[in-house]
Amino acid sequence: MENILEVQQICKSFPKTKFVLDKVSFSIPYGSIMGFVGENGAGKTTTIGCILNTISPDSGTIKLFGKELSDADTELRENIGVVYDGDNFPAYWTAEQLAHVMQGLYKKWDNALFHQYLEDFRLLPKQKIKHYSRGMTMKLAVAAALSHHPQLLILDEATSGLDPIMRDDMLDVFLDFVQEETHSILLSSHITTDLEKVADYITFIHNGKLIMTATKNDLVYNFAVMRCKESQFLELDPSDVIAYRKRDFQTDVLVANGKEAERKYRGSVIDHVSVDEIMLLLVKGERV
Amino acid sequence: MKGLLKNNFYAVRSSAKTFSIFMLLLGAFVTVVVSQQLLLFYMLLGIIGFSINAIASMGKDYVSKWGKYKLTAPVKRADIVKSYFINQLIWLFVGMIFAGIGLGLSWLLHGCPFDRSIDAFMVFFTGISISLFAGAIFFPLFYLGGEERNGAFLVISVLCAIGIVMGITTFINITFGPKMTTVQILLGAMMMLVCSLTVFALSYPVTTAIFKRKEY
Repeated sequence: MENILEVQQICKSFPKTKFVLDKVSFSIPYGSIMGFVGENGAGKTTTIGCILNTISPDSGTIKLFGKELSDADTELRENIGVVYDGDNFPAYWTAEQLAHVMQGLYKKWDNALFHQYLEDFRLLPKQKIKHYSRGMTMKLAVAAALSHHPQLLILDEATSGLDPIMRDDMLDVFLDFVQEETHSILLSSHITTDLEKVADYITFIHNGKLIMTATKNDLVYNFAVMRCKESQFLELDPSDVIAYRKRDFQTDVLVANGKEAERKYRGSVIDHVSVDEIMLLLVKGERV
Repeated sequence: MKGLLKNNFYAVRSSAKTFSIFMLLLGAFVTVVVSQQLLLFYMLLGIIGFSINAIASMGKDYVSKWGKYKLTAPVKRADIVKSYFINQLIWLFVGMIFAGIGLGLSWLLHGCPFDRSIDAFMVFFTGISISLFAGAIFFPLFYLGGEERNGAFLVISVLCAIGIVMGITTFINITFGPKMTTVQILLGAMMMLVCSLTVFALSYPVTTAIFKRKEY
């Protein structure tokens, strides 16, 4: 068993909104961070809902630690830490009260570790959550998610709305967490720079469909964008083109291997590409 | 379960505190003033008020993402529902204590406040039944109709509960006639209690079944 999470062909449709999650598949190996990227409404939260069993998929299978998660699998959920975007906990609680509740929910709840996180994150245990800033509430949620010693962290937009310094602090905590070989993180975000810093794999989702999954190194070191004139674009081998986007005087073409494209199409302008630009090309560009 | 009960306690605590202060002040007034009507009102308010306050606090879980977050914790959906039912029973008991103290003090200071001592038990049975019926109706409605309609469902539940108890009382009165014996009064009260307890118990699997189908 080498994957902590395996999502296979999950489908979910919402007739009211006409949104369809269409055969989404990916897996996360032990000891890695998977970035889950997509624009707002792409299906990230729905996918996470299916993984966590808060939403029932219409079809497909999801395996956590090699097992399918059901409502009765409380033992399996002991090993999962979750952070949602925004208010995870009632605003009238204090961090201390949160600890009391969590202690009654998780067998492995570590109060000393939780208080250590509160100290590290400079959060006051007796202050009501409603008086916390957004950054503080997110830090509290991360502290709570880590304090029952989970193996898998599922973070849904956990870094959105945080300032760069706080985001960096959080990313350090996540990197620390995956130092343990049996730990993994699914980090859903539309802030791709965060993922470039910490993710080992990145999965792109758009309009409920999975576009691709690649290793971050592959994306950063091999993927490239060709800046083509109309005539150059027409000469390209379609199998080399992942996506393209026409601009005023040029066409940006996403290719999987920049060096190979450089050799094949001499004289063409090829640039390194950021994850942000890859996402833009995949989402806004066209496919051959 | 312990964590869920603590969660429910924190949700009810602040409003229960305010209600307790009000009940203490009202209780002091009720024990000083000799009024059967006022004591009756005080007892019913205590028994019904605390438990209604408890079920109303259920919506607080869904103001934040906590309602959804709880589903990711190692608890079954059935346990979440069970914790709400237990929570209501706990606060119903608290209400009964308030009502009991009020009644006891009034009795000590002024003698039996009702025409017959058995009437005091009838007030308890009526209050308990209204509370149980209200909870039994509210819990499934809460999940069925959506958490955002919490307030409307609460009003509907309480009104329905009062209507049902009035209906049962009318049935008892018709069955036993206008001059009921102590045994008949007790029998009628027991009938009401058994009905409300049965509906309350049946509401649990119904609520659980509805909640299991809910997606967040």
